[in-house]
Amino acid sequence: MAVALSIDGLTVDFGGFRAVDDFTTVVEDGELRVILGPNGAGKTTLMDLISGKTASTGGHVHLYGTEITNRPEHIIARHGVGRKFQIPSVFRDLTVRQNLEVAASGEPGVFRNLRLHMVAQDRERIDRVIELTNLGPVLGTIAGELSHGQMQWLELGMLITQQAKVVLLDEPTAGMTQAETFKTAEIINALKGSHTILVVEHDMAFVREIAERISVMHMGRLLAEGPMAQIEADPAVREAYLGSGGIH
Amino acid sequence: MSDTTASSATPNRLNRIADWGIYALFIAVVLGLPMLMDDVFWLNRIAKYLVYGMLGIAIALSWGYAGILNLGQGLFFGLGAYMTAMSLKLMSSTSLQQGSDKPVPDFMLWNAEPGAMTDLCCINKGSFLWIPFQHQWFGLAMAIVLPLIVAFILSSSIFRLRVSGVYVAIITLALVLLVRLLIIDAQPVTNGFNGLTDLGWLTIGGFEFDPYMVQTYYVVAGSLCLVLLLARWLVSTRAGLILQSTRDDPTRARYLGYDVAAFQVFFFTVSAGIAGFAGMLYVVAAEFASPSFMDITFSISMVVWAAVGGRNSLIGACLGAILINTIEATVSETEVFKEAWKLIIGLIFVLVVLYMPRGLAGLARDLTGWLGQRRRGADPMPKAAE
Ligand SMILES: Nc1ncnc2c1ncn2[C@@H]1O[C@H](COP(=O)(O)OP(=O)(O)OP(=O)(O)O)[C@@H](O)[C@H]1O
Ligand SMILES: [Mg+2]
Repeated sequence: MAVALSIDGLTVDFGGFRAVDDFTTVVEDGELRVILGPNGAGKTTLMDLISGKTASTGGHVHLYGTEITNRPEHIIARHGVGRKFQIPSVFRDLTVRQNLEVAASGEPGVFRNLRLHMVAQDRERIDRVIELTNLGPVLGTIAGELSHGQMQWLELGMLITQQAKVVLLDEPTAGMTQAETFKTAEIINALKGSHTILVVEHDMAFVREIAERISVMHMGRLLAEGPMAQIEADPAVREAYLGSGGIH
Repeated sequence: MSDTTASSATPNRLNRIADWGIYALFIAVVLGLPMLMDDVFWLNRIAKYLVYGMLGIAIALSWGYAGILNLGQGLFFGLGAYMTAMSLKLMSSTSLQQGSDKPVPDFMLWNAEPGAMTDLCCINKGSFLWIPFQHQWFGLAMAIVLPLIVAFILSSSIFRLRVSGVYVAIITLALVLLVRLLIIDAQPVTNGFNGLTDLGWLTIGGFEFDPYMVQTYYVVAGSLCLVLLLARWLVSTRAGLILQSTRDDPTRARYLGYDVAAFQVFFFTVSAGIAGFAGMLYVVAAEFASPSFMDITFSISMVVWAAVGGRNSLIGACLGAILINTIEATVSETEVFKEAWKLIIGLIFVLVVLYMPRGLAGLARDLTGWLGQRRRGADPMPKAAE
């Protein structure tokens, strides 16, 4: 199997404090990887490093063999990394459809976008995403007026429309009701196989629903990696979680 | 479910029809005005207000659509005005009367050192800058090209550094002040405080555009309509939509793969070009260029016009500028009203900012939306479930 994302010795040093410290892992094409870890373990920072928001001070990130370490965010995005933020981030003054249209344009620059209509392919992709995310009834709604759950699905939908090959999801179910969480799991399961996915998540019921392989982070380092059962039995993991009440 | 999509399309379509209706009506009125009013004095006044309308469009483009509050738009207007005025000055009879066969601005002669050569090359240290302006088309081209170049350099540096919000406003404000000082300071070349007056007329193919001729009005009005349609096309393109997305959430746009700074630079620069074009037309209609074009109060007035008219609407901001200035001209015939009017506009501005961020255009849109809803309310179709 091809390697989608290879992270090698990734480190960031915030004036002596290493939020991510010599982190190494390999994510295969089409894999769904869950990243677990207590608060402040460095999970969000790890995603910041991969997606170019924060510059690393050591190590490398390769995406399908291409080095993307410390490139500008939009270049990394163009290489195929999509990112969902911990706080839902959509274009609040645009309609749901416009949000998806912005995500759909395959052209990064200004001049190629000086045309009135979308290409048919982009429109079809948007239609498929609308179906997957159930956003049909709210297409004309201003995104800022959506419910919390719908906003999260819209953001997910934008990543799919964007045709991100590797999708980074930071706590996609935070603040969701049980029904919403279930729907989100459904969307993520539908992405399995066609997308490579990295998910940070605290909700263990949700993790059990979707997880294949799990990486556990603790104080910026990789503590353990493997399937669910193996992780739950790992004494080092139990130790790390003791302070914060264990894995629930 | 399909019911909801269908019914949500109705107000959209209604809006679009209303939108194009307003554009068509606006263009018809602006171009048809001389048939209703043959007072050339008033037409010349209105032409100046149409120029302000063009400035409203420039502000809406950068502030409304790009989210960039430029408090120094007067810089680009002023540059466009001075570039045009330099050429028209050299075409003026006042530049030729001095016994020379080559034009030299009268103010340069008045201040010339005794014995200096009365030629643009060397009458004073900076006068050579005027040499290319002997060709009218050079001045007219520079009126747009110079604002474009300055805006491109300025915006490339600030947006690449991800400067945003109030800092952009402060930088642009400081810059317009600086350039104003430079122009006043370079008295031998620019005639300082007094600006450039006694200009010649724009001449195209032997035809002289006397500012008090209906033809000159048509030049301004036609230009405004063209700029309005061009700007409208720009914001309707994919790029225009992406620009609006960078305004809402630049980080999200970056993560979708867009070079946010490139979009900001492009639209900021276009907006500056429009302001420069407005400066050119203003000089053609008003026959002078002055450092007061770069006064802070003027740049801030533009923002007020756009805010009142509706900064998220090109035509709203344009109408805001035209209407405010027309009303102002009507009421300020009497001194008492003149002062009161400033207060009223100030008050309206505050109210709009606080309670009506989309301005009069937003109000109009709500109204059409409400009318559409009322019509649908009478519809016997059952309401679709949420
Ligand atoms: N720019 C920064 N400068 C200094 N310290 C930072 C910076 N960004 C993050 N940190 C620190 O790095 C640590 C890891 O933070 P991070 O947000 O990655 O944790 P997390 O695993 O996502 O936690 P949570 O589960 O609470 O979201 C925290 O202690 C945080 O304070
Ligand atoms: Mg986090």
